[in-house]
Amino acid sequence: MTDLILQALFSGVLIGGVYALVALGLALAFGAMRIINLAHGELVLLAAYMAYLVESRTGLDPYWAIPLALVVVMAVSWALFVLVDKIKDHRELNSLILTFAIGIILTNAILLIFASDMRSTSSAFLQDAVSFGDLFAMRGEIIAFVLSVVLMGVLWWWLKSSWYGRAVRAVSSNRNAARLMGINPARIETVSFLVAGALASFAGVALYTMSVVQPATGHALTVKAFIITVLAGVGSIPGVFLGAVLLGVTEALTVTLASSALQELAGMVLFLLVLFLLPNGLFGARARRG
Amino acid sequence: MLETRNLTSGYGAITVLWDVNLTFREGALTAIVGPNGAGKTTLLRTLTGLLPYQGEILMGGQPLKGKTWDLAAQGLVMVPEGRLVFRDMTVEENLCLGAYPERCRADLATNIERMYAFFPRLKERRHQLAGSLSGGEAQMVAMGRGLMAKPRILLIDEPSLGLAPVIVNEVFDIIRKLKEEGTTIVLIEQNTRIALSVADDLHLMRSGKVILSEKAAGIDLDRLHDLYFAREGVKEEAAQ
Repeated sequence: MTDLILQALFSGVLIGGVYALVALGLALAFGAMRIINLAHGELVLLAAYMAYLVESRTGLDPYWAIPLALVVVMAVSWALFVLVDKIKDHRELNSLILTFAIGIILTNAILLIFASDMRSTSSAFLQDAVSFGDLFAMRGEIIAFVLSVVLMGVLWWWLKSSWYGRAVRAVSSNRNAARLMGINPARIETVSFLVAGALASFAGVALYTMSVVQPATGHALTVKAFIITVLAGVGSIPGVFLGAVLLGVTEALTVTLASSALQELAGMVLFLLVLFLLPNGLFGARARRG
Repeated sequence: MLETRNLTSGYGAITVLWDVNLTFREGALTAIVGPNGAGKTTLLRTLTGLLPYQGEILMGGQPLKGKTWDLAAQGLVMVPEGRLVFRDMTVEENLCLGAYPERCRADLATNIERMYAFFPRLKERRHQLAGSLSGGEAQMVAMGRGLMAKPRILLIDEPSLGLAPVIVNEVFDIIRKLKEEGTTIVLIEQNTRIALSVADDLHLMRSGKVILSEKAAGIDLDRLHDLYFAREGVKEEAAQ
């Protein structure tokens, strides 16, 4: 029994890395533009299907799909930005409706093109088991986790040390002050949507290599990203990572101890518990933005 | 250096500024004083491109063009009141962002050290979040951040607002030092006494009009206060 629980914890941490990437994309767009992109999970889904497309058509390892996924998903993310930017009144509310609808369109487009079957990688290399003492993982899971952590490091560095990254944080922090510092907010919003699209591309390909995807996965991912953001706030990358791992572990334990049918429910229960018991999120007021 | 000609602006149908003609001399500190509702903030918002206007704004003889962020890049830099710092970024990151316009980025590290020499207190707090600073320190961050943008003109909005008197003195010592270094400064202030003590030129605004423009050295504080509060018997003088 202990073995099973440890194994579940391990798997939960591994999937948590990808969840964190998804949530960080959502948080970036939210920070810069103050809108919740309900189609963000579908962007990730789109990238996953690009990986499936490349693997099934060419027989290459799905990671070769990253350039294609980057181009397609960043283009869609940019188009999303242009549409959201056209909303002049009540942007917070209207953007929810707009992005929700775009998410449905994307899901159905994928359903139409790729059918509703579950897809996962057929690469023997990625599916090989790797053991760490008593714990096992697919090689794909390990690679996806390492990739996620590296990308989080890159994102952290970018936000901290590049001019565009600093400007994204400045616009998130105080839009008017940012304008006075010579920052054009519209350009920074575009940049943050493009970076969110890039993160979604990597997350989607990684998800395909370690897990199973189907057209409904996109919506589930948006919900997960939203739960993580509420758990952790949008202020810190380590916070989002911890929130994502917590969600991953909760889901994995539910699958091990109860049933895989309850996986999505477990995240929601965690979400409600945190809202009731720690209304400021896991990390208190500090992670909240003023 | 900076000049407005028949500047009229406001919010939609409501006109706040009426035919404002002002000249800000290079290397001088020009104070704009006036009671609440005089249009000081509207003037500042117009100068920094946040409001549409009629009339002309000239910088170095050329009409000002572009949005707020373009103006900052051209050297028209505003120091907003201290509440407008980036609260969830550190003091050093705030300073760094002041240098966002491309022409300011080259000698970033040297410039930040220069700011620390100017504001030693900020050096102690360099890794602290700006949101955790006291009002006076936040004001210093806002000023340091503005200076990082290598301003040709520095517009400072109500630096005394909400600060304890002793901190106000500290902030104005710094403004005095900036002026001695030759920075062209436009100071918006409600506190006439302290504004008069640092200013070269002074303009008094009331109800969206400039009613007094003089060298600060020749202004008598009592007379200024009479005009400021529009006391009986001086209204006619103001109208002339």
